Amino acid sequence: MARKLLLEKANVPGIRGYEVYRREGGYASVEKALKNMTPDQVTDEVKKSGLRGRGGAGFPTGMKWSFLAKPEGVPRYLVCNADESEPGTFKDRYLMEFLPHLLIEGLIVSSYALGSKATYIYIRGEYAWIPDILEQAIAEARAAGFLGKNILGTGFDCEIYVHRGAGAYICGEETALLESLEGKRGNPRIKPPFPAVRGAWDCPTVVNNVETLAAVVPIMNIGGEEYAKIGVGKSTGTKLISACGNINKPGVYEIDMTISVEEFIYSDEYCGGIANGKRLKACIPGGSSVPILPANLLLKTVKGEKRMMNYESLSDGGFPKGSMMGSGGFIVLDEDQCVVKHTLTLARFYRHESCGQCSPCREGTGWMEKILKNIDTGKGKKSDIDLLWDIQRKIEGNTICPLGDAAAWPVAAAIRHFRDEFEWHVDNPQECLVRNYGLAHYADPLEIATPA
Amino acid sequence: MPTIYIDSKPYEALAGKNLLETCLGLGIDLPYFCWHPALGSVGACRQCAVKVFKDAQDGTGRLVMSCMEMVKEGMRASVSDKDAVAFRAQVIEWLMTNHPHDCPVCDEGGSCHLQDMTVMTGHDYRRFRYKKRTYENQNLGPFLHHEMNRCIQCYRCVRFYHDYAGGKDLGVFAAHNHVYFGRETSGILESPFSGNLVEVCPTGVFTDKLLKEHYTRKWDLASAPSICQHCSLGCNIFTGERYGRLRQITNRYNSEVNGYFLCDKGRFGYAFVNDVNRVTRPLLRNQTIEAVDEAPLMKTLREMLSGEELIGIGSPRASIESNFSLIQLVGRDNFYQGLPEYPAYLSGKVAELVQSGALYVPSLKEIEASDAVLVLGEDIWNTAPVMALAVRQAVVRTAAAQAGKQSGLPAWHDLAVKEATQEKKGFLANLTVCPSPLDEEAAFSLRRAPDTIARLGFAIAHAIDPSLPSLPDISTAMRSIVNSIAGALRSAQHPVIISGVSCYNEGLIKAACTIAAALHTIGLRAGVAYVLPECNSMGLALLHAPSFDNATARVLSKPGVTAIILEADIYRTVAEKEADAFFDACKHIIVLDSMHNRTTQKAHALLPAAAFAETDGTIINYEARAQQYFQVLAPQQDIRASWKWLGKLKGLRAAAGNGQQVHPDEILQQLEQALPAFKGISRVAPSPDFRVHGQPIPRDPQRYSGRTAILANLTVSEPRPPQDTDSPLAFSMEGYPGIPPPALIPFYWAPGWNSNQSVSKYQQEPGGALRDGDPGVLLSGQAVLRLTGEEKPTAPPLFMDIPEAFEAREDRWLLLPQVHLFGSDELSSYTPGIRRLAPQPYIGLGEADATALGVIEGDDIFVWLEGKACSFPLAIRKGLCPGITLLPMGIPGIPVPQWGSWVKITLSEDAEEIRCPSKIF
Repeated sequence: MARKLLLEKANVPGIRGYEVYRREGGYASVEKALKNMTPDQVTDEVKKSGLRGRGGAGFPTGMKWSFLAKPEGVPRYLVCNADESEPGTFKDRYLMEFLPHLLIEGLIVSSYALGSKATYIYIRGEYAWIPDILEQAIAEARAAGFLGKNILGTGFDCEIYVHRGAGAYICGEETALLESLEGKRGNPRIKPPFPAVRGAWDCPTVVNNVETLAAVVPIMNIGGEEYAKIGVGKSTGTKLISACGNINKPGVYEIDMTISVEEFIYSDEYCGGIANGKRLKACIPGGSSVPILPANLLLKTVKGEKRMMNYESLSDGGFPKGSMMGSGGFIVLDEDQCVVKHTLTLARFYRHESCGQCSPCREGTGWMEKILKNIDTGKGKKSDIDLLWDIQRKIEGNTICPLGDAAAWPVAAAIRHFRDEFEWHVDNPQECLVRNYGLAHYADPLEIATPA
Repeated sequence: MPTIYIDSKPYEALAGKNLLETCLGLGIDLPYFCWHPALGSVGACRQCAVKVFKDAQDGTGRLVMSCMEMVKEGMRASVSDKDAVAFRAQVIEWLMTNHPHDCPVCDEGGSCHLQDMTVMTGHDYRRFRYKKRTYENQNLGPFLHHEMNRCIQCYRCVRFYHDYAGGKDLGVFAAHNHVYFGRETSGILESPFSGNLVEVCPTGVFTDKLLKEHYTRKWDLASAPSICQHCSLGCNIFTGERYGRLRQITNRYNSEVNGYFLCDKGRFGYAFVNDVNRVTRPLLRNQTIEAVDEAPLMKTLREMLSGEELIGIGSPRASIESNFSLIQLVGRDNFYQGLPEYPAYLSGKVAELVQSGALYVPSLKEIEASDAVLVLGEDIWNTAPVMALAVRQAVVRTAAAQAGKQSGLPAWHDLAVKEATQEKKGFLANLTVCPSPLDEEAAFSLRRAPDTIARLGFAIAHAIDPSLPSLPDISTAMRSIVNSIAGALRSAQHPVIISGVSCYNEGLIKAACTIAAALHTIGLRAGVAYVLPECNSMGLALLHAPSFDNATARVLSKPGVTAIILEADIYRTVAEKEADAFFDACKHIIVLDSMHNRTTQKAHALLPAAAFAETDGTIINYEARAQQYFQVLAPQQDIRASWKWLGKLKGLRAAAGNGQQVHPDEILQQLEQALPAFKGISRVAPSPDFRVHGQPIPRDPQRYSGRTAILANLTVSEPRPPQDTDSPLAFSMEGYPGIPPPALIPFYWAPGWNSNQSVSKYQQEPGGALRDGDPGVLLSGQAVLRLTGEEKPTAPPLFMDIPEAFEAREDRWLLLPQVHLFGSDELSSYTPGIRRLAPQPYIGLGEADATALGVIEGDDIFVWLEGKACSFPLAIRKGLCPGITLLPMGIPGIPVPQWGSWVKITLSEDAEEIRCPSKIF
């Protein structure tokens, strides 16, 4: 059993309420930080922990905090990015739904470290029932004196506000989130200036993911150095993985980052193997925008090493031969899945969620969707595959925000690893409507793909 | 000046600019969409991508958007880099995936920025083989046609309409590749600057609905430089002609005046030129049209003129050439204005101040750059809309400049600067009689009677310079406002005070000047701008002619006078009874005008005068800037410029045949000699014999089509084109193909740049002055001093005669005009769309008065004008102070009252006089 830091108490009955949470040792980190530590010491502790952003990019949190500009007389803001909308990712929902106080506790400590007196939780519109849970938790924390004026008599004031999004994926991008928070259309901003200097209402702002902020709590409880000992290399601590797809046990798992991908998929502690006894075809290990990996590359890196569930190992091999940890949305595809249809689904999602501000993403995603739809329905041409490749190449890196990249990468990886499947669709326009390509082209990888 | 390397060639660049505007300024073609010199950069369209290299060794570089890249010393960029070129072509290909291939039926075709950019990037092969997305269009009112399918989502429309002009009802809806620009529902666009969308939109989403009625491609339009005729600002415009009709008005860039934008009245108010109500033939009373041939006409005119005493009535909407020709015909002592005594006096007062040299009159550009604006009484949103737009920019930009300075952001980084600015605003105090859309930009907006506003003005002057007389009776609350305004003006670097004559109040004019004088004592050069009612009001006022009242007195005292009325409908400015009295006393009446109106009905001889598009002329704007407009239509039938008719009449009078032909520049030279106030006016534009390499400036573009066939329905042999001996412009496509002097630019065009965006080729730098300087000659006293190098900061005159505070009367109301942007102007109201937007007659009262009288909105109430009761529905004007009543100015159906007089209001025609108990102020 791996060590659990976040979900340790998730199964305690009534943990959603303040009483139980407090009884189980909750809010200890707030007391520790506010009473015994300076904000800089808290930041240092987070730096020592090696905590990396859990939203997808994996940027070291302590470093991000230290970038926050601190001009005199200007308020600073902490914004919790709870706009978790990436297909395949639902770890934050689990946290907020079952352990709301863990997030609130993390937010109070982080607000203290950053000097934010008004902290916002920007929550995805579709999570319609969760704001009530959070607001309930905020009210309880406030009644217990952990929020409001002069918290615990330390002179630190903090309020947490829950702001509901309206259901736009783009508002998970931090600058679009800030625009939306300010009441404007959620179009991403051009960076620089970065939010750490000019963020919400033009004030220095830190935007962090729910899981990142929740992880601050165990870091404060066990200490940054202790936290850093968990995991491997730069992948410290534990990570929540939301596993879904063709597996026996979909759900949110907390892993320490020393287990292998293979173990994660096949061990009974985690996913419990591929459902219905099917074989593994491919997997998207970090949420829909990271590159898809075929089974052979998923389980072993190109160097032949075992691929581990951590930031470094998952991205080993770079984009051509690897993928990313991303937001931890682990999507498993079995042999019955069609990669073309799957890519189309993602392309449709990114087309729909493009904000429409810059041309490559707005027009490129729509075009890619149309091409994929044609290939999927047997109306494609060979040249369409090259065209798809060309379009995604031009989108990548040339948009205002990373949504363009997020839309380009899945298409790129699908063509890179499954080009034969695309070509089969084009060559067999009738057949592709009635059956899937299956694993036919993976004679070699198949061996690797079977569990040891 | 940093040196930058573009494709390894060194260039001198201006510091603080972005790479895109630098490239355009250097004449390097780079495609763009979302950037606009007046709107800044947002980096959204990704069209202007270039490669930037770290140093000379860096061979890879990275793609950046040139509009978001600050120019730096030693910067290395490549426009022609293979990847950059491919990416720019790809962006066009993306945009083209959803842009319909409807150029042949699109109004924008031939002047379309998207077309130009598509050709520029070389995208020519279509790989997209799917259905394009479609939208439902909206009916946006009488001026703009909406065709959303063509949209390429550059966001320029909302950035202009909402961010720049402050419009509320155009927004961006939906997302992804279905972004929609429009209103929530169909309906008339509310902003009076909506017409600019035609030019701001890089393609055919917003097109000119008036042009659509008589559509012509830009390359088929004969064009000429012209000046807007509908208010005293003198915005520069292009007029476009085809088949003898005026078809379109577009913005002509003048960095000192209107910049890139016009108001809708100016852009769409030209339909009168083509109207059926035009006077096209000379008419003699009691004679048939056919009978009025050249010979009998001249005979009659000669009889009317010979031996009789002549008086002339000048016009504020006729050119200075025509007015001066009339002076030359009748003599200075016999030249009057068609205005009653008081308004004529007010205009004269303004002209005197502007001419004195003591007043610094800011241009619109200088108003935009002002950091504190005080509006005293004038409703500039309606009387000078583009000035209101400039004031809005002053407010927005002052805050943006401060925010930009604090945050180190360049001014062109539009969204970041807006974010940094947040809700902060520059200083504007809007003290007016009625609420105005400018109020929402104002730090202070107050509704008071003109006299009270004038007193507040004097109180502000006192707060700035305590040696000026104080006003002890001002309330404490008001005093704190006065002190705040005074403080803001004192701490500003470029304060501007705006007033005008539309309140019929001399105190306002004096107060504005006195505040400037007070600021002068603390070393601040404050600008004072006075808005006048008509396009050439300043020109007429500078002639210092007596009022119409004097003219009436003259004809009544000495009958047998022949009156010559120049382009003015006396019945619009003078009460009916007085105008009738005048005309009844005249022996002969000669009227020159372009439209039939009540004055022309009085004429014994009516001569068809050319409208502004049919002749050359010079008009003088509020800041005494003389600007020349040029003919674009060859006048039909017997229409001639008024100054030509008047020259002819002069010839008749001299009994020397038909008189000799004169050119406008000769008239201007004579004017200069006769009246020193106009010194320099003959430099307003090159003389008619000006040529470049021996060639005139063509009005027609080189691609002008159908020249030989254009009159084929009338005659198969191609007639000789009209000859223009009055200007260096030719009715031809032949002539000098390069960039002409700024006053003579007939249209914007450059190879590869067919749209109006080609204006950057005519500018010294994008958004800067035109090459060789902006056209126009300033005649104001300070400008003359500046020219002669004698400019010394002389103090503006101080006025001590503070008006009494306004006191509402129990049984009378102060009658003031409400000027309406659409409807109050005489000529623009011939445009059906403008007529549609004009108000119906109404009588305006404040809420308190309406409550006290027990009347509600829409009730018919009676106002007594000239002893007669006139009934209009009540319109409650929020904030209008008790004791004042408003009537819309110039709206048909309302007799011309004596503005500024006290009138009686009753609830029925034969009712007792009512007394209003609420008159406590």
